Amino acid sequence: MLLVEADGKTLFRGVGIAVPPGAESPGPWMVKAQVPVGGRGKAGGVVRCADAGAVAAAVAEQLGMRIKGHRVESCLVEQAATGAERYLALMLDPAAYAVRVLFAAEGGVDIEQAGTIAFRLCPPEPDAITAAIADLVAAEPDTWRQSLIDTGRRLAHLMLDAELILAEINPLFVSAQGCIAGDAKIVIDLNAIDRQPAIAALLRARPQTYADAVRKLDEGFDYVELDPNGEVGLVTTGAGLSMMLVDEMTARGMKPLNFLDIRTGQLRGSPARLIRVLEWIAAAPRVKVVLVNIFAGITDLGEFARLLADAIQATPALRVPIVARLVGRGAAEARRILADRMPAMEVEEDLDTALAHVAGYTK
Amino acid sequence: MIATLSRTTPVVVQGISGRMGRVHTANMRAYGTNIVAGTATRTDLTDIDGIPVFPDCAAAVAATGAIASIAMVPPAEIRAAVFEALDANIRLIVTIAEGVPVHDALAIGRAVRTAGATWIGPSTPGLAVPGEMKLGFLPDAALRPGPIAIMSKSGTLSYEIGWRLAQSGLGQSLWIGVGGDPVKGLRFADLLAPFQSHPATQAIILVGEVGGDEEEQFAAALTQFGPTKPVFAVIAGSEAKEGVAMGHAGALTFGATGTVTTKRAALEAAGVKVFATMAGLVSEVARARL
Repeated sequence: MLLVEADGKTLFRGVGIAVPPGAESPGPWMVKAQVPVGGRGKAGGVVRCADAGAVAAAVAEQLGMRIKGHRVESCLVEQAATGAERYLALMLDPAAYAVRVLFAAEGGVDIEQAGTIAFRLCPPEPDAITAAIADLVAAEPDTWRQSLIDTGRRLAHLMLDAELILAEINPLFVSAQGCIAGDAKIVIDLNAIDRQPAIAALLRARPQTYADAVRKLDEGFDYVELDPNGEVGLVTTGAGLSMMLVDEMTARGMKPLNFLDIRTGQLRGSPARLIRVLEWIAAAPRVKVVLVNIFAGITDLGEFARLLADAIQATPALRVPIVARLVGRGAAEARRILADRMPAMEVEEDLDTALAHVAGYTK
Repeated sequence: MIATLSRTTPVVVQGISGRMGRVHTANMRAYGTNIVAGTATRTDLTDIDGIPVFPDCAAAVAATGAIASIAMVPPAEIRAAVFEALDANIRLIVTIAEGVPVHDALAIGRAVRTAGATWIGPSTPGLAVPGEMKLGFLPDAALRPGPIAIMSKSGTLSYEIGWRLAQSGLGQSLWIGVGGDPVKGLRFADLLAPFQSHPATQAIILVGEVGGDEEEQFAAALTQFGPTKPVFAVIAGSEAKEGVAMGHAGALTFGATGTVTTKRAALEAAGVKVFATMAGLVSEVARARL
């Protein structure tokens, strides 16, 4: 997952990569919306300000904005850096099982489309990455070439020690004073979080910005809020099927509240996880119906149906109709249990039939 | 290695004594998989349901001649388990753990490549040769012998598609779950040649999702390949939230990279029929009269 720029820069400072000084330094300043997405500039989330009044106005403008589904909870205010712009990035190359080292003698938002980025593939070792960077910057002037190599070496250590998937600096400002990271695009590996306490602390320090990731750390499963005004709460398992369901519903004009991979195999006889999800769905203001979709490969649907009924009874705040689509192991038993305990619930085997019921409630 | 798997391929289960190990071993055996050995760190076990248990892969291979393994150990232990299997000269390793760190996967991938072995993982429901054997937990309800080879990043989405195909009388020749991780063992493009040369396979279904560039690389490989068996695809995640991993660590988009739009365009340019819905894919494949 992507970190916001300010947290990426915290990681940079930790390994000695220079970043612009903060708001206390003289202007002009940059005001930058802290959301974990690309294309902030084009969405009005990056503004250059000449005086304090402009900074205040830009902050007021940005806070609360939504950029690609993310609400702006905070802004980074820092001195506008100066110098020539470069592009430097390290990313994992999955097909080569290598670290891809990328450099361009220009920076900026359009560099990735320009196709002028040179790269080398290296084993995941700091010395090899540093040597590749030295090679890529060989034509840079003496004034800052060594500083570029030094920045690259520090970035290599960060990449490997923090187990990053992507570490990109664009633009990287270069001048006679050395290198300054103008931006920080860092993709972390949530699977490695138990070994990376410093990154876990960054996530927990921004519980609203990283709500989806923090929820995963706390709960052990994936629930992503897609649209706070969504009308259909989803109780689903499996990342791919849940994504596809969201796509198909959206294409038909339905508004899903959430993506969910609850992992039915991990319920272990307890409705606790289902209760958590139903509570979140019940708390959303516009939900009109809940769709349960479970394809059970290993999970016994009879047991799942019992847990679902327990969870619904334990969540009185949930007052909307529930449509369930259950297929796989133990489906007949599940139907019997739900017909007995949840007679109002519509239980289907065919997904498109279930979706037609859901559409009826959201019209 | 993939195309030669059968009900005689000898398999060792690494971590056979855990809860998952026992459940999945019983299910695989019931399906027809030739499980000849297990490994466990517990020293008080000599067998589980008649399957001999060894302290490590080397001992299991020496005693039974296993050439494939499936690792049923927690994510943090996958790296050590694969290295152990490679040291024992296992040729095909399937790992099913969810949540393996990406840098571990990178180290595993490098070691597997050096050893010339095949790895499917880190997180996948496994593979099946329907009617013969399975390694992992692809659901029996969705498995049915037939002419279609499936490659999928997602477990559940492929179950749904396999099940719907089976409902309409269409089965599978080979089914490989490559998993939803950013760094992994076999990738879509690696499966093109084995699927093309596989005699029982008449068509290919690719079940993709947002993130990474596997679909794009598969499209490039397909263009290089020349005339091919028909390829059908769905790609999940057109409504994925940018910057957030959607359940799978690899299902992450930022900026214009890894989106359904770019993947769909690349696949269509290579002659793949890409569908926006599961129903659309299944009805078109059924119409193809394989």
